[in-house]
Amino acid sequence: MKNMLFLLSFTLIMAFQPAFAANVPLMSKEELKNQLNTVTVTILDVRSGRDWSSSEFKIQGAIRAVASQIGEWSKNYKKDQTLVLYCA
Amino acid sequence: MKHSFFLSLALGAGWLLSPESLVIAGNGAGRMGWLTIPLLASIALLYTVCAKLINSPQLPDQVDKKHFMLQSMTGIIPATSLRIAAVIPLVILGATALLVTSGYTFNEVFLYWFPNFGFSFLLLALLTILQLFPEKYIFKAQICFVSLAAGGLLILALYGITTTELVVTQVFKQPSSFSSSAFASMFLLFAWSTFSSEKQQPSVLVPVAGLILFSCWILVSLSYVDAERLASSTIPYMTAARRIMGEPGRQIMGIIVISGTCAAITGLLLVCRRMLWSVAGTTSHDSSSGKALRWFFPPLIAIITGSLMATGLAGDEQLEVLLRGALILWLIYYDLLCLAAVLQTQKATQTIPIAGATCTVILLAAVFILISSNTHRMEMLRFLLSMFAISGLLSTIWFFINKDRNQYP
Repeated sequence: MKNMLFLLSFTLIMAFQPAFAANVPLMSKEELKNQLNTVTVTILDVRSGRDWSSSEFKIQGAIRAVASQIGEWSKNYKKDQTLVLYCA
Repeated sequence: MKHSFFLSLALGAGWLLSPESLVIAGNGAGRMGWLTIPLLASIALLYTVCAKLINSPQLPDQVDKKHFMLQSMTGIIPATSLRIAAVIPLVILGATALLVTSGYTFNEVFLYWFPNFGFSFLLLALLTILQLFPEKYIFKAQICFVSLAAGGLLILALYGITTTELVVTQVFKQPSSFSSSAFASMFLLFAWSTFSSEKQQPSVLVPVAGLILFSCWILVSLSYVDAERLASSTIPYMTAARRIMGEPGRQIMGIIVISGTCAAITGLLLVCRRMLWSVAGTTSHDSSSGKALRWFFPPLIAIITGSLMATGLAGDEQLEVLLRGALILWLIYYDLLCLAAVLQTQKATQTIPIAGATCTVILLAAVFILISSNTHRMEMLRFLLSMFAISGLLSTIWFFINKDRNQYP
């Protein structure tokens, strides 16, 4: 029983791990929908590994970018350009 | 008798029905077209020959025949190291990869609001808790998981065949050419298929049943989806299911993916636990070391798997290389097991089993192709060598501590 309780606690902690992520400016899907296909918005799919390969949903026109190589690919975009990064 | 038959089938079919196998089959079908089916048949035949060779009545009748044969060929520490290297990395990495895939599938097919990682961890906890129950309950659950996955795949395949005219014509229209790397990957489909609980006879029926099921599925996939799309897709099974039956097809495939994940992980954990019992020198789960392993091993694997998922291995391209490496380790172990069986048979009968020896050489060739065709071959080689080194070290420490205990006098 103790083992089971330990396992369940571990699971709960792990399941809500994404909630501890730092605050970043967010865009709702409705906002993004309105801005899709505009020149000023570039959508970057920063998912990698299984996060990307197991997912059935990919936003049309999104460009794949490796999150850890942000220093390299960020140079390709203008500073006033809106970049929408999605990771889940 | 019937229960024993289904159980034997269910234990061997776990990995075969996992989403990983569906990807290998889908990509292979996309790259080789209709040729995939006869090639798959030849691989199923090869595994059948190997299983018959390993379980031949001519070989010495030992409690753990596989370990005894390997030990006779390589010595006790290398034999134990090989077993550990073949099983533990595959259980951990396989569980990590499959749980992540299931998490995404549940989130995208069934409940958008439920976090994918939340589902992965929940499934991990439930499968770990299942391992803490007596084996008869685990076996029943395994039969359910395999029946759900195999049944779902059969429904989709039969629906696809009956609702499209000229399925065979459609399939032959698709381009087909031999690809050595896609062919070698097909060997990984049947990993574990001839391994079952020691109480059961290892079933040669699993490769045959798998061949029939996957032939139907490949046939239908090729008649509904372009070969190019199948070859390049990371989820060819979902693309095919959507084309065959639309939204209900996606939902059925969602059930197949989740139950296939449960079947693969449960099967891997069961085989792994039995292997550890054997290494620990016990053949009964009622003994003290058997009980300790039952309570200690599944939570330990769950903690390692959970930690790997939480630290971001799921989102790392490395996971694919490591998982492929773990599967190759298993293939190396199986190949050496076949070689040991060939040598033992020769010793017992004074004749070389030609079919078994040929299969051993083919398996070895598949290992070389799988390593050399991988774009990350250096990383993979490093992984293989480090796994051999770690398992060698663990085995040496274990036998140094228990040097008075020798299971096979």
